[in-house]
Formats: sequence, structure tokens, C-alpha cells
Amino acid sequence: MESNRQNRSLVKATLISLIVAAIVLVLFILPAEYNIDPTGVGQSLGLTVFNEVSEDTSVVTNGKGNSEEDAVVITVPAGRGVEYKLAMEQFKKVTYEWVTDGSDLYVDLHGEPKGDTTGYFESYTIATVHEMNGSFTAPYTGSHGWYWKNKSDQDVKITLSFSGDYVIEGLK
Amino acid sequence: MLKYNKHINLLYLFIAFIVLFSIEGFAHGVDDSTRNFLNNNTGLQIIPFIYIGAKHMVTGYDHLLFLVGVLFFLHRSRDVLLYVSMFTIGHSLTLMTGVLANIQVNAYLIDAIIGLSVVYKGFDNLGGFKHFFGKQPCPKKAVLIFGLFHGFGLATKIQEFQLPSEGLAANLLSFNLGVELGQFLALMFILLAINYWRQFDSFQKFATTTNTALMSAGFMLVGMQLTGYFIN
Repeated sequence: MESNRQNRSLVKATLISLIVAAIVLVLFILPAEYNIDPTGVGQSLGLTVFNEVSEDTSVVTNGKGNSEEDAVVITVPAGRGVEYKLAMEQFKKVTYEWVTDGSDLYVDLHGEPKGDTTGYFESYTIATVHEMNGSFTAPYTGSHGWYWKNKSDQDVKITLSFSGDYVIEGLK
Repeated sequence: MLKYNKHINLLYLFIAFIVLFSIEGFAHGVDDSTRNFLNNNTGLQIIPFIYIGAKHMVTGYDHLLFLVGVLFFLHRSRDVLLYVSMFTIGHSLTLMTGVLANIQVNAYLIDAIIGLSVVYKGFDNLGGFKHFFGKQPCPKKAVLIFGLFHGFGLATKIQEFQLPSEGLAANLLSFNLGVELGQFLALMFILLAINYWRQFDSFQKFATTTNTALMSAGFMLVGMQLTGYFIN
């Protein structure tokens, strides 16, 4: 009898913990972490803001963007990492394209909120590739851009070109 | 009376989630300033590595949840010391070998296993293993084995930076020492909180709720990490 009761309460506890976890995952965690939002709740709560990388070019800009394109050549020394950042206002957009002179680099395209001192940052894209192009919309005002890490034993040159609405902060 | 209890239970679960999410901000492996330091400094760096290790542990909520589960029913300081040593031996071993032998394990999978360790301990605290399998798996061994996995997690995180081989072993030892320091600090707070709470009737009353919440948090970690594994 006692054993049956314990059986029931154990199964109940396990089920409740699973159900609660599933609900919280689907409604909050997955939308915020991975932009997976089957219910739309994450979107309506604004949780998907961390992952907004707009892929379409139909985003309405205020027409005041830098119309010309900026380009820069960056050398990433062997075994080292460099950062190249742009200061951007919230919801401003940048279109970019970069290519290395051969080997793959680890890249982390990310942004840090303005005035933040906690070291917080949000990654938009992480990959190990030799070229990438795309665009992103700044989810908040702050410093946005690329961190490249050269894991090879040869220096690697990157040619980066970008256009949009920003002020160049440059290498950090 | 019963109705009142239900309310408190709900409130309690709610608070647990709030806490979980407020720590979510720390979930990034390593922040920019740390990364910056690691990329710009070579050679022997004992104190900074101790600091990074400690910071990693204090802000690593998955490790902390597991420790909460382990310490929940331990009240003799001798036992606390024993279990924490087991955990320490486990993760020190794999942290050092993982980095020195350059073993790369997928971080998502390791973190999922760490989430699973939280579920395991919650279920264990509810008496699940004893009940369903007739006996509880040796808790000391379990802590040691999960300690090994936690160490691989730490090793994977620190390997993201291709540390220069110059002074590597000493730097790693420092990192490991920092991890122990951070663990000790976190433990103090966890123990203080649990022991304070233990004096009240509510501790026993909510033991089931707490460990159910712990399991739930573990399931969330597993779900989050496995999703990350499959989409990346």
C-alpha cells in the first residue's frame, strides 16, 4: 500500500518536472537561445530579440544609411585572435562580406550593449569558415562586429567589406 | 490548509524559475574580457587563471545545481567533505587530461550530460532509485563519475582558446585551483542556505517540491543543450 503511494508520487514528481521543463523550454528557453519559437510566445515576449539576424533586404531603413561601401584588410596573426567592431544604434542594419586568403578562421559575430561593464555579449553567428556574407540588425545600441581566431600556424589575411548604418570603431 | 500549501508550492516553483533565468545571463562560456586576456597573454599566468577558474565555477549554474542536489540531504560536515572531494577528484582528473591530451568533446553533449546529472540527483533525492530498483546506486561513485563529466566540460571550455603550450601545465593547475576555490565559495553559500532552511519544518515539507524543481531544471538543461547539439 505504502509502496503504491510512493510509486504514484514518484511518477507524479517525474512527470511534473518533465512537463514543466518542456513548457519552459518551448515557451522561453528555445526562443531566446536558438530562435526556435513554435508557439510564437517567445516572439511576443520579445525573447527572440537575441537572434534577430534579418536575412531579407526588405527591412525598411530610414534612407540615411551610408550608401557607400567600406572595405578593410585585416591580418590575423598565427594562433591569435582579433576583433573588428562597428558602433551601431538599435535596429540599424549592416550588410557584410568577408573572405580570407585561404585558410579557415573561427569567427564569432557578436554584439555588446553600450555602456555594459559586465562583459556580457550576444553571439549572432559562430562558425569556422574561410568566407561569409550576410547582414544583421543590431538588437540593441552598442558595439557589434567580428571576432576572428586563427588556429593555424600561418598568418591569415581577411578582406572585409560592409555597408549600412554605423560608425567604424575598427580593430580592438 | 491544503489549498494554502498548493499556493506556496506554485509560488516556490515560480521563484525557482526566476532564479534560473536570472542566472541565464551568465550562460555564455567565457566573456569578452576573459577571451581578450587569453588571446593576448602568453606564458605563466597563475593568478589570472585562478580567477578565471573561480569565476567559471561561481557562475556555472549547472555545476551549482548539481552540488545543491548532492548536498541536499548531507548534514554531517564529514560527509560534505567526502562528497565534495569525490567531485573534485573527478573533475580535476578529466580537466587536466582533457586539455593536456587535447581531447575535444562536443560541449553541447557534455553539458547535456551535466544536465542529466542534475536530473539524476533530483530523482535520487526523491528516493526513486531505492524504490524502483530496490537499491540506491552508490552515491559516492555517482558523484565521482559525474565529476569526471563535469571536468570534461571544463576542459572543453578552456580548450576553445588554443592555449599556448608555454606554461600550459602550470596555468591549467592554476585554473583547476581556481575551480576549487570557486566551488568552495559557492559551497559555503549553498551550505549556509540549506542548513539555515533545514531548521524549519518547511524543509522536509518542501523536500519533494525542491527536488522535483531540481529535476525539472535538469531536464531544461538537457533539452537546451541537445537542441543546440542538433541545430549546430
